[in-house]
Amino acid sequence: MRTSTSFRARLAALSLGAALLAVSPITAHHSILAKFDDTKAITLSGLVTLVDWTNPHVHVFMNVRDAKGQVLNWAVELESPIDLKQSGWSPETLRPGDGITVRGISARNGSRQAWARSVVVTATGREVFGVVRTPPAAPLSPRPVPKFADGQVRLGATPGASGYWAYPSATALVEDGVTVAMDPYGQLKNVGDAAKVAPMQPWSLALYQNRQRRFLQDDPTYINCKPPGGPRQMQQPFGVQFVEDRERQRIFTLIGGGNHNYRILYLDGRGQKGQVSGDDDNPLYYGRAVAKWEGDTLVVNTAGFNEDFWFTNGGLPHTDQLQLTERFTRTDFDTLKYEVTVNDPAAYTREWKATWNLRWVGGEELPVYFCQDNRP
Amino acid sequence: MRTFAVALVLSAVALAGVPAVAQEGHPLKGSWIGTWAGNTVHGNDMFMVLDWNGKAITGTINPGQDNIAIKSATLNPDGWVLHFEAEGKDKAGAVINYVVDGKIENLAMHNRSVTGTWKSQRGSGAFKITRQ
Repeated sequence: MRTSTSFRARLAALSLGAALLAVSPITAHHSILAKFDDTKAITLSGLVTLVDWTNPHVHVFMNVRDAKGQVLNWAVELESPIDLKQSGWSPETLRPGDGITVRGISARNGSRQAWARSVVVTATGREVFGVVRTPPAAPLSPRPVPKFADGQVRLGATPGASGYWAYPSATALVEDGVTVAMDPYGQLKNVGDAAKVAPMQPWSLALYQNRQRRFLQDDPTYINCKPPGGPRQMQQPFGVQFVEDRERQRIFTLIGGGNHNYRILYLDGRGQKGQVSGDDDNPLYYGRAVAKWEGDTLVVNTAGFNEDFWFTNGGLPHTDQLQLTERFTRTDFDTLKYEVTVNDPAAYTREWKATWNLRWVGGEELPVYFCQDNRP
Repeated sequence: MRTFAVALVLSAVALAGVPAVAQEGHPLKGSWIGTWAGNTVHGNDMFMVLDWNGKAITGTINPGQDNIAIKSATLNPDGWVLHFEAEGKDKAGAVINYVVDGKIENLAMHNRSVTGTWKSQRGSGAFKITRQ
């Protein structure tokens, strides 16, 4: 059974891997349940043929002998290279020919794909590729909020330093005061709770339920790498970074998820109008954002969204009437309070609000993540 | 190894073809093209532009000089059942009242469809439009 990456084996892996992946949408950083069925546990033992260390998700290809003695190639999906690297792993953690046992869950479409919950090296018994996401340790006492010389709060790093905001305390949009069980991707444990999440109109509730029943597999960020516009950008696994350009009266928001793109918050008093030869009057993924400081809170009003994306991880609908009021308050050096008021009269019955905190990740720049990697 | 990995993934992508496109906002909003079979007054083929303003579904059939205004439309999310009524005129100027009943199919797809029936004083038949 032990094989090497001979030309024949590589050709077989190429063909089988292509066939396996061809039957499902290309992956991105997505709800695991969109692609895999957590009621179908699977254990695979065999030999590694290839480690594909690429965003959005790492794949380990392995040869597995079935009950009839036939050797079949399987694609085992893991977290992103960033997650794995931050947890101490590298592309060399496994090499072609290594024997491994994978425990995980099977693909919904019946193809030879599995999501790995554990990978154990046969020869050593060592478990590898485990991912631990822990925010930076909190200081013993809150550190003071950093400010500019004129007393204005800094949302970004101080001169000579670096850092960004991540580890949101909530990873899906839910109205304040509501408690519903859902996974980190916004998948409800019980779709019957859908109406509790936000005050939806009948059509948007039915659409939200449909998206939930389909395990969020229609998410444009999953299928097409569409940007995580709206409050979703503040719930991405790889955070956001603020770059404050006071001379030009704007703040750049660099987004660690999606396609590592950006959003500009204008503080120069302009209206929410598109610019000729710029964004004109086209609706946008991130809308048009105008901002002002109210004391130590940055208040951002954003409108002009298009409808080509999901503005939440869980798939709450929105329309081009969506307007957001966001309030950013750095309550101490390491904590950013984010409040968003959703006003979309074409999808919701009233305004509603959600609040969560983000943690400061100091001494680092945003992880370099592009969900478009692994695509033509 | 890296070249091989890239080749593997690109091969998969090539075989996968064009992936499904995602659902967006209100399911009826957008441009639709299709047929109302056997319509001898306004032709077999039809275009529709539909919108949702938060309270009502609005739209036009065959937008242009001979457009047909949609007078009323409802969408029941329980089963995604569409009903609309429209008023057009024949070449002599006589009013033609259309009633269309259908159901959204492939809701999650960008190019979802509405299939059902149409009827007027001058006839009836199958109705199908697909979102562009």
